[in-house]
Amino acid sequence: MSKIAEVKAKVEAGKSKLVPGLVQEALDEGSTPSEILQAMVDSMGVVGDKFSSGEIFVPEMLIAAKAMSKGVEVLKPLMAGDGSASLGTCIIGTVAGDLHDIGKNLVSMMIESAGFDMVDLGVDVPADTFVQAVKDNANVKLVACSGLLTTTMPALKEAVQTIKAAYPEMKVIVGGAPVTPEYAVEVGADGYAPDAGSAAVKAKELATA
Amino acid sequence: MLTKRQNLVEVMKGGNPDRFVKQYEPFALMMKTPISRLKPPVGGTIVNEWGVTLSWPEGQLGSFPVHDEEHIVVKDITKWRDYVKAPKLDYPEEAWATAIAEANAVDRNDQYVTVFVAPGLFEHIHYLMSMEEALMAYYEEPEEMHALIDFLVDFELRLAKEFIDHLHPDAVFHHDDWGSQINSFISPAMFKEFFEPAYKKIYGYYKENGVELIVHHSDSYAANLVPSMIEMGIDIWQGVMNTNNIPELIKEYGDKITFMGGIHSGLVDFPDWTPEIVAEYVKKTCEENGKLYFIPSQTSGLPIDSFPGVYETINQEIDKMSEKMF
Repeated sequence: MSKIAEVKAKVEAGKSKLVPGLVQEALDEGSTPSEILQAMVDSMGVVGDKFSSGEIFVPEMLIAAKAMSKGVEVLKPLMAGDGSASLGTCIIGTVAGDLHDIGKNLVSMMIESAGFDMVDLGVDVPADTFVQAVKDNANVKLVACSGLLTTTMPALKEAVQTIKAAYPEMKVIVGGAPVTPEYAVEVGADGYAPDAGSAAVKAKELATA
Repeated sequence: MLTKRQNLVEVMKGGNPDRFVKQYEPFALMMKTPISRLKPPVGGTIVNEWGVTLSWPEGQLGSFPVHDEEHIVVKDITKWRDYVKAPKLDYPEEAWATAIAEANAVDRNDQYVTVFVAPGLFEHIHYLMSMEEALMAYYEEPEEMHALIDFLVDFELRLAKEFIDHLHPDAVFHHDDWGSQINSFISPAMFKEFFEPAYKKIYGYYKENGVELIVHHSDSYAANLVPSMIEMGIDIWQGVMNTNNIPELIKEYGDKITFMGGIHSGLVDFPDWTPEIVAEYVKKTCEENGKLYFIPSQTSGLPIDSFPGVYETINQEIDKMSEKMF
């Protein structure tokens, strides 16, 4: 097995202690940082699909994402300033009045693993803060808003509409337990995903459309 | 007419109940014991007996553990013994007086004297160390996680002994959320390894000491964990959401475990709720899931509502369905 194939396999298996060494070996073998990064992104795509289909669970997804981030640490100094490796910036947050962060953190991790630079605004984020973050950060391609409660659905709607009013072309993706594809359309979002794996797929689709 | 308790027994054994069991009606919950877990007031923050900082911000439906760098209790799982200290359980007899009086006031032919335990092992661990760190540690530090669970089991057994000695409960209502609405948090295999033996010990102890009924709350998807629930000794899974295929579960496991729920609290207990919305969901769940091995109930884990009137309206609608179907 080539080193790059080993990196891929070990990211998928969540071997965070082994991945940095293997990334270094793959570099030594002549693979470019971009090729190695792409291999890890592909692994996380497989992980996301397996999570969406129920084949794996949250811990397996978490350890895979951790393994990838350990690999990225090795690549980072070699890729500094190489904007071509990024799909752009994604702003993410849980909407105002809602303090749930576990689902949002998983989605953030998976979107990051798909190749985005993440700006995580945390929980209880007012609509205007999302807009400000779009303004303050470079190359923002996507805003992801999470809402976990039926009681915070109006805040989700407000967030999407405020972002769209300020930046009509900005892509906005929504998710959370009570959110449905129909609700996403109703509030004017560009995309909806039922889980972290499909969120990464949808994010990529929207940002590269 | 059967008593509430007799009626529940008929539902659970697939016998002849004379009406639906109405949510929590067979359970007299003992909430005022000296060893009941501390909760923050709405708008407040507390540090609980285990050192976990819990906050209940205004306008929220529940409290949250605070998991920033400063407040997280277990900062390194390999050193959990340095951070985790079990709270004391020995209180003078007078501290039990209110709970004992409440237990004595219950007609045990009609209701189960029910002790309440929350959070359970899985939740307790992520309260102590955050969800993400906990879930990764099951893979990365399995021995330490087993040891931490053993420590918590030991505490729960001592807690159970106090409840049993003072209140002689007929039932235990034990919380531990094991999933989101679409899946269990961890795989059935991981669950079987870490939690099945642990709960088997706890629930086994209650049963060996005269507790008739184990009611476990997890308002989530957890259909894939039902075989483990049965093995643990759970009699009623409370909180079963309709993202589980409840009719299928009843068909497959009904003679071993009863399912309580079917009415997703998020869909009925919200600011703009109406009696018509409640009626629709109650009717649907009663008709879909039937009279045996099933208790129509909101999925939330206590007989209360977030928006006044919802809990009682569910009860009234269950009465209507009882008239129609029995």
